[in-house]
Amino acid sequence: MSKRIADALFEAAYLSLITLFIAFSVIPVLVALVLSFDARGFMGPFPPTQFSLRWYERFLADDYYHAGLATSLIVATVATLIATLAGTLAAIALSRATFRGRAALQAALLSPLVVPNVVLGFGMLVFAARLGIVDGMTRLIMGHVLITFPYVMRTTAASLVGIRASYYEAALSLGAQPWKALVQVTLPLARTGILAGATFGFVTSFDDVGVSLFLTDAFTYTLPVAILAQMRANLDLTIAALSVIFVVATVLLIVLLDRLAGLDAIVGRGVYGR
Amino acid sequence: MLWPALVIMAPLLLGPLLALLHESLKPYVGGRIGGDDAGALTLANYAEIAAPEYVRYFLDTFRVGLISSGLALVLGFPMAHFIVRRASPPVRRLLIGGLVGTLFLSLIVRVYAISMTFGPLGPLSGFSRLLGIASNSPDGAELMVVLGLMNTTLPLVALTLIGTLQNINPRLEEAAMSLGAPRWKTFFLVTVMMCLPGILSAGITAYAFCISNLVVPMLVGRGFILFVSNLIYARFSEVANFPGGAALSIAMMVISVGLFYGLLHLVRSTWQEAGK
Repeated sequence: MSKRIADALFEAAYLSLITLFIAFSVIPVLVALVLSFDARGFMGPFPPTQFSLRWYERFLADDYYHAGLATSLIVATVATLIATLAGTLAAIALSRATFRGRAALQAALLSPLVVPNVVLGFGMLVFAARLGIVDGMTRLIMGHVLITFPYVMRTTAASLVGIRASYYEAALSLGAQPWKALVQVTLPLARTGILAGATFGFVTSFDDVGVSLFLTDAFTYTLPVAILAQMRANLDLTIAALSVIFVVATVLLIVLLDRLAGLDAIVGRGVYGR
Repeated sequence: MLWPALVIMAPLLLGPLLALLHESLKPYVGGRIGGDDAGALTLANYAEIAAPEYVRYFLDTFRVGLISSGLALVLGFPMAHFIVRRASPPVRRLLIGGLVGTLFLSLIVRVYAISMTFGPLGPLSGFSRLLGIASNSPDGAELMVVLGLMNTTLPLVALTLIGTLQNINPRLEEAAMSLGAPRWKTFFLVTVMMCLPGILSAGITAYAFCISNLVVPMLVGRGFILFVSNLIYARFSEVANFPGGAALSIAMMVISVGLFYGLLHLVRSTWQEAGK
């Protein structure tokens, strides 16, 4: 086989894998978008023949989802605030630490990333019961701090790699108090990483199912848990409308993140970046 | 500066772990929530997991997870390569925005969209027939779980591999091609080989995410495919067998943490020995 044909075949395979990737990521979202406007009251074949806003109206009128959304927002905000505060300080401390067991401590703090969420949720449920905590909100926040902390710490730690410790030391040698050097030198330099970490943490908490399923009670449940319960109970298309709202919110979040931090800054440009 | 993290995280990490360990050693008494506090501690809950009908769930979890993360690498690497080496700045920005967006989009929403698309009434319901699989068979359910898991891990894999590829000198590929190597040979023998540690790390991370998944098998596995996570949840929600669920949790935790750090260590030590 000549080199030209082999190159053409390779190029075709390469481009079809990329097309497949995009199609696989985009088509389901488009299908949900179309279905959310379906006017039929039953699950009919695709595509729908008549369109309406009935599923959006139903979502807007449904208190069950509203309560879930409110809980999700409260839990995600509180958990992210706690995790960002503790996680940022820990990332800075660990980036400078030289003590023995530093790597082990870091691995332990990041370990919730590797342990299945179901295990964390179940463990937290049993732990909270032993402590006598039966309040859904308290349990949820405990569980969500546990899962958001590693995301915040890891993202912030990655952004600290590029910041030289000498800036902080220069501030100290010029007579700044350590806390002042931290607040005025290190934190502003790390703000992209902290912002990205907090965003990751918030999204992780807001999307979580595995931990929340164990920690909700009859009155306090998160939005994903509410959706899951509805999904298993009946197959109406309110969830398609909800999916579209989620997609729109995610797009807005990405645009905001790009404006505030720059997506390239989060992904990084690498050593040989153009 | 470490103390806020230690004060907050130490109880949240150790409390559930110790509570689960203790719970898993209690004897299970049918009909009551939580193990029998009065009974002597026992290993019976662990012995139960080793029964063949339980081992099946572990094997399903590891097998389906391997297929899904493997396919995610096959699709994710060319995409990362395209973004790093070929895309113009606006296209690059759009694709990265799309990847981060997919990563941020609620998992439930993504699985729902997949089931609507590839399900019996969906526009791509013929996809399983294309592969010679009946959509209502156990294989059909497995295919849906694989598609769901791939959708979860693809953005993660692609974003991680972008980081890897950005640190590989493009001159090496140019050199290979200017010396007459065909594109495919350059791609596999230079680019892929140089990225191999990064590819394996991304694969291991994707695998860890796949095998801990609860939502995908729950929503599209139709009872044919159940992961260990589903089994743990059923112990809690359906039969209230807390000691049994705790033993399963501890076993699953030991296996996932061991696999993740063990494999990652293997990758790192192999490439360090090779002089990198």
